[in-house]
Amino acid sequence: MTEKKEEENGIFPFIEGDRIDLIAQSSQWINLICKWNNDPRVRHYARWIFPTQPEHIKRWFEPPSGRGMREAIFFTIYHKEDKRPIGSIGFFWINWINKNANVSATIGEPDYWGKGIVGEAAKLLIKYGFNELNFHKICAGVFNPNQRSLRAAEKLGFKKELVAREDLFVDGVYVDMHQFAIFKEEWMEQNK
Amino acid sequence: MEKKEKEKQKPAPFIMGENVDLVALNPDHIEFYNRWNNDPRVRRYSRNPLPRTIEDQKKWLFREQEGPKEHIAFEVWHKKDKRPIGIGGLGRINWLYRNANIWLSIGEPEYWNQNIGTEASKMIIEYGFNELNLHKIYAGVFSPNKGSLRCAEKDGFIPELIEKDACYVDGEYVDHHRFRLLKEEWLKLKKQG
Amino acid sequence: MTIKETPIFIKGDIISLAPLNMDHVEIYARWHNDPRVRHYARHEFPIALEEVKKWFENPPEHGVREFIVFVIYHKEDKLPIGDIGLNHINWVNRNANIFAEIGEPEYWGKGIVGEASKLMIDYAFTELNLHKVHASVYNPNERSLRAAEKLGFEKEGILREHLYVDGKYVDNHRFSILRKEWLELKRKGESD
Repeated sequence: MTEKKEEENGIFPFIEGDRIDLIAQSSQWINLICKWNNDPRVRHYARWIFPTQPEHIKRWFEPPSGRGMREAIFFTIYHKEDKRPIGSIGFFWINWINKNANVSATIGEPDYWGKGIVGEAAKLLIKYGFNELNFHKICAGVFNPNQRSLRAAEKLGFKKELVAREDLFVDGVYVDMHQFAIFKEEWMEQNK
Repeated sequence: MEKKEKEKQKPAPFIMGENVDLVALNPDHIEFYNRWNNDPRVRRYSRNPLPRTIEDQKKWLFREQEGPKEHIAFEVWHKKDKRPIGIGGLGRINWLYRNANIWLSIGEPEYWNQNIGTEASKMIIEYGFNELNLHKIYAGVFSPNKGSLRCAEKDGFIPELIEKDACYVDGEYVDHHRFRLLKEEWLKLKKQG
Repeated sequence: MTIKETPIFIKGDIISLAPLNMDHVEIYARWHNDPRVRHYARHEFPIALEEVKKWFENPPEHGVREFIVFVIYHKEDKLPIGDIGLNHINWVNRNANIFAEIGEPEYWGKGIVGEASKLMIDYAFTELNLHKVHASVYNPNERSLRAAEKLGFEKEGILREHLYVDGKYVDNHRFSILRKEWLELKRKGESD
């Protein structure tokens, strides 16, 4: 009975998890996504340095032009018990020839920080990337003040590949960008 | 239903302050922006001698910006009274020279002379140096605009030059005062303050 | 075929850097499709003349762009022989990626990329006011690896199996140079 209601509300789980599902993004949450992208606590780590208006977000929902494959694939992270969207996660800079992509994850509601949700969502996304999208390699970039994400990357089995010095300007100073990566074979070994 | 409506109105703060927040421009508030823009008391020193229609203003404020942005504008939202009270931001952003012009207009006159202009402009300045990696922020004020001159002083702006008889306001020629603030000058102020 | 007098933007010894020239459209298209050239430059898709012509359309009204390209012009032979530029320019973080290709294989191995890159890097720091320039070279491209080191780039790390080239995965070597490092090199070079 509850499931039918969720369908009516435009909630379409694409990948199911324990506490969260990854669901297709929906234009009904444009204002919510806008709030996350503007929230000073959230945008600091996500690096949104320009104010976002709902119109900018609306454009994501326009059907893609041309016949090429997408450069980015994003999901909304939906909290099953609390029945609400709490963040976004997805792949960007997808290169279909080299078969690699970067991961981006944002928990837009700070009450859900520090609960291992990014870890859970990332696990689902990585499995999707290797098993369904046939990626060879998945990369992630974290800038050094973001301790939580550095730990999360290591826990997920990512290995550090390089440190791009003074790559980002954050809060008045240049910070290093740590690049991590995980390969399909490594991941399959870890998740036998 | 009512709760959803209220949530629709509550803006998403971009930069949080004490009495005011800076939030993204809201197309639903275009009537406010337009009223302020035409209000004789407000526009007196903002230099709008020509009337602006809502469509004109919408086009200007929400214009598409390809590539690195040339202007970034915010709405000034009063936290306690829960209403938009002004608009401001950085314009003429030059990414090569790393400088920009700061502008601010408190559209509701009952909020003048309460240091709100100073608070909002301080937030914009910090954003320009700490987030946009600018080297210099400059400002222009007309001589009769005592309120803005005081605000510039309190923000720590340094007078750079005076353009004589630069503008025609209220039946007479007035001077245009140019101010500047370099990042290192701003950092010094922060240390002292 | 006569090539009209090309306006020089940055003067060098053997080569100079000039703006793209509509007269050379066919030459650019040839380079980008030439299997020997595109192998190292990683142009995986065929490019039609019309697409090249599009580069000349719609420059931004004012302000700066996300990429800047020059033609490498051989002074004595009076010929465009390649292109060099900066892309992924991020004006807030003040960094950019440098790319270069010599489109005419007879000019390979003559130190031309080295000279063109020197001019380009200097332009990036002293005219564009950038903080950092980075470069990517993949391991089979020995020439470019050596050129990067000679120019004073520091290696930031290796992105393993990052590119798919000729039927197998190869590593991507990331290099970077900071503004202060470049200026120091220049100063040393002048005092020698």
